[in-house]
Amino acid sequence: MIQSSSTSTDISSAPKTPLFHSSTQYRNWRFSAEQLHATRTALNKAAVAAIRATFESDSPGSSSDIHFLDAREEHLLVKLYITKISQLCGHFHFPEEVEATGITYLKRFYLKNTVMDWHPKNVMLTALFLATKTTNHPISLESYTANIPRTNPSDVLDLEFLVAQSLAFEFAVWHAHRALWGMWLDLQDLPQSPPHEELQKIYDTALQHIRTSRLTDVELVYPPSQIALACLSLAHPNITAYWARTKNADVALEAVESIKRMITQDGDVPSVDVVREIDRRLKICKNPEKVVGSKAYLAKRAREEKEAELKRMKKAENVRKAAEQGNPFGEELAERSNLDDDD
Amino acid sequence: MDAVEKANAERQKRWVKDQKVGEGTYAVVYRGRELTTGRKIAIKKIKVGQFKDGLDMSAVREVKYLRELHHPNVIELLDVFSSKTNLNLVLEFLDTDLEMIIKDRSLVFLPADIKSWMAMTFRGLEFCHRNFVLHRDLKPNNLLIASDGQLKLADFGLARDVADPGYKMTCQVITRWYRPPELLFGCRYYSSAVDIWSVGCIFAELMLRTPYLPGESDMDQLKTIFRALGTPTEEEWPGHSKLPDYVSVGQFPRTPLRDLFTAASADTLNLLSKCIIYEPRRRISAREALNHSYFFALPYPTHPSKLPKTAAQTAASSRPLDEVDGNVDLSGSGPGVKAAPPKKLKRKLSGHDLSRNIARKLDFTAT
Repeated sequence: MIQSSSTSTDISSAPKTPLFHSSTQYRNWRFSAEQLHATRTALNKAAVAAIRATFESDSPGSSSDIHFLDAREEHLLVKLYITKISQLCGHFHFPEEVEATGITYLKRFYLKNTVMDWHPKNVMLTALFLATKTTNHPISLESYTANIPRTNPSDVLDLEFLVAQSLAFEFAVWHAHRALWGMWLDLQDLPQSPPHEELQKIYDTALQHIRTSRLTDVELVYPPSQIALACLSLAHPNITAYWARTKNADVALEAVESIKRMITQDGDVPSVDVVREIDRRLKICKNPEKVVGSKAYLAKRAREEKEAELKRMKKAENVRKAAEQGNPFGEELAERSNLDDDD
Repeated sequence: MDAVEKANAERQKRWVKDQKVGEGTYAVVYRGRELTTGRKIAIKKIKVGQFKDGLDMSAVREVKYLRELHHPNVIELLDVFSSKTNLNLVLEFLDTDLEMIIKDRSLVFLPADIKSWMAMTFRGLEFCHRNFVLHRDLKPNNLLIASDGQLKLADFGLARDVADPGYKMTCQVITRWYRPPELLFGCRYYSSAVDIWSVGCIFAELMLRTPYLPGESDMDQLKTIFRALGTPTEEEWPGHSKLPDYVSVGQFPRTPLRDLFTAASADTLNLLSKCIIYEPRRRISAREALNHSYFFALPYPTHPSKLPKTAAQTAASSRPLDEVDGNVDLSGSGPGVKAAPPKKLKRKLSGHDLSRNIARKLDFTAT
């Protein structure tokens, strides 16, 4: 049901379709549970193959006894770093919006990358820093990193572009806690709503469920309104049913059952011992091309340098030719296939 | 190469930069085209590496909102790709902007033309506001005009979502002449009404052909506004004297808009006056404006394709005709060529000219 009709929206009918349906989140960041699994498995396989090849080219036979991470283990590591974002946000007193957005960015990043290439620690820091900017709560990089132990501005800055790119520069995120807020406002307005204190308690409990849901994949599968409804239902099924009746949304109640299951099943914080073991193995199997100073890293840099050098020489050659032809401005711009990006 | 880098390289290949057309403090703009179709585009290359806080806020804002907003009256972001430490925004190519048109003294605006531009502005703005996005930098210069005459809201570098209740927003937004009085008084909790004030100023400028409220400093801006519209009373705008940066800049009497806008219809002045009401909560919304009787009264808005064009635009769009004319001129000797004058184009052009008594000359010297 969720996956259907995600085709591009027709502008002329825009007023009739809900705003959410024209969002990048609706169009590009919703998947089925199977799709998520397939994506992560494929990413993991490709990374293992590439890293194995790098090891082998360095010294043949060296990859045979390496125990690479599998997709599940990668996911577990990312999950632990989701909890770190929440801790940091508490420390900085960032609004809920920043926290939720940072977490979404982290999850989306690892649908395009693997932890063996990019360790979640710095990606997490970068995702959160980017989220402060995209949600209009910017702080200076200096005061950001100064408050995080063993972190330099460059740790964040070096990855910012990669993170933004992995997100396809789609920064706007629709969150379940906003939807819940709306439902809470609605509830206060209903004729048979319980007294305010009780409602407040229900809201607080539901919000806790939303926070738990951030540890799971639900936001990559379901729209925020349904997640909010599921969390409200976890907090107080009766009042949720009442709300749904007044909105003629009884149908939605059935749909949220699977969300509730996902939240209760996957909402646990991974055991630190298990993750520590994964992290220990990651030190050995991470992509050497991304480890500053390693042989493979230097080799890759040398390759890139050579390419850049060739490009510069070609450019210099063009300029020289043009000068010889007596036209210091070179040939007609339009005839050139491409303007270079560093001019 | 990583999958992400690969995808980026693929995207980059779709677009070709042809010529640098402008350079600002944080971006360079190129004219270009789509490789496969030849469609004209603009590439805004944002330098990223130079900021100590990384990706610059205005770049973040612009990308964030243009990625989400798709509307005929909002500039379209076709693609985003990166090259080294540069961020490249691929935008639809637009010929000119409303400021150039206003300043082009050879153009005469009919009331129907102004109505058309206003309708398109309000449509684009209503769409933004419906999405809870404040533009916060509306001015003629940021209203771009496509070759088919469509007006598009551009430059979302100052845009943001409407803040949650209780969260402050900065009042240092909107170019001074188009900035509403509540922002000049340092109001940190405001609404979509700030954009409406700007549209009101643009509306007036279209009629006057010169900026309506050109203050020389923030303080002078208030004075300029009050001189034109009278100093607000506590009754007109309850609570304004308690705003953070409130200052008294003197008492000015209210003069009727009619005194300045002598040729405007009653509908026109009614809509204008509702855009520049002091009390932000009483100012008209974009949606209400679109339903205002001004847009339903005669004369009906000019079709976008028939709107006044600058000389440069006309030259650009009539280039094919120019070539045909050349053929026709040479054709004195051969009847075969003479037999095919571009009748359709000619009729269209002359009809166009007839409807406007002042000829907008084809001035090729400008190009």
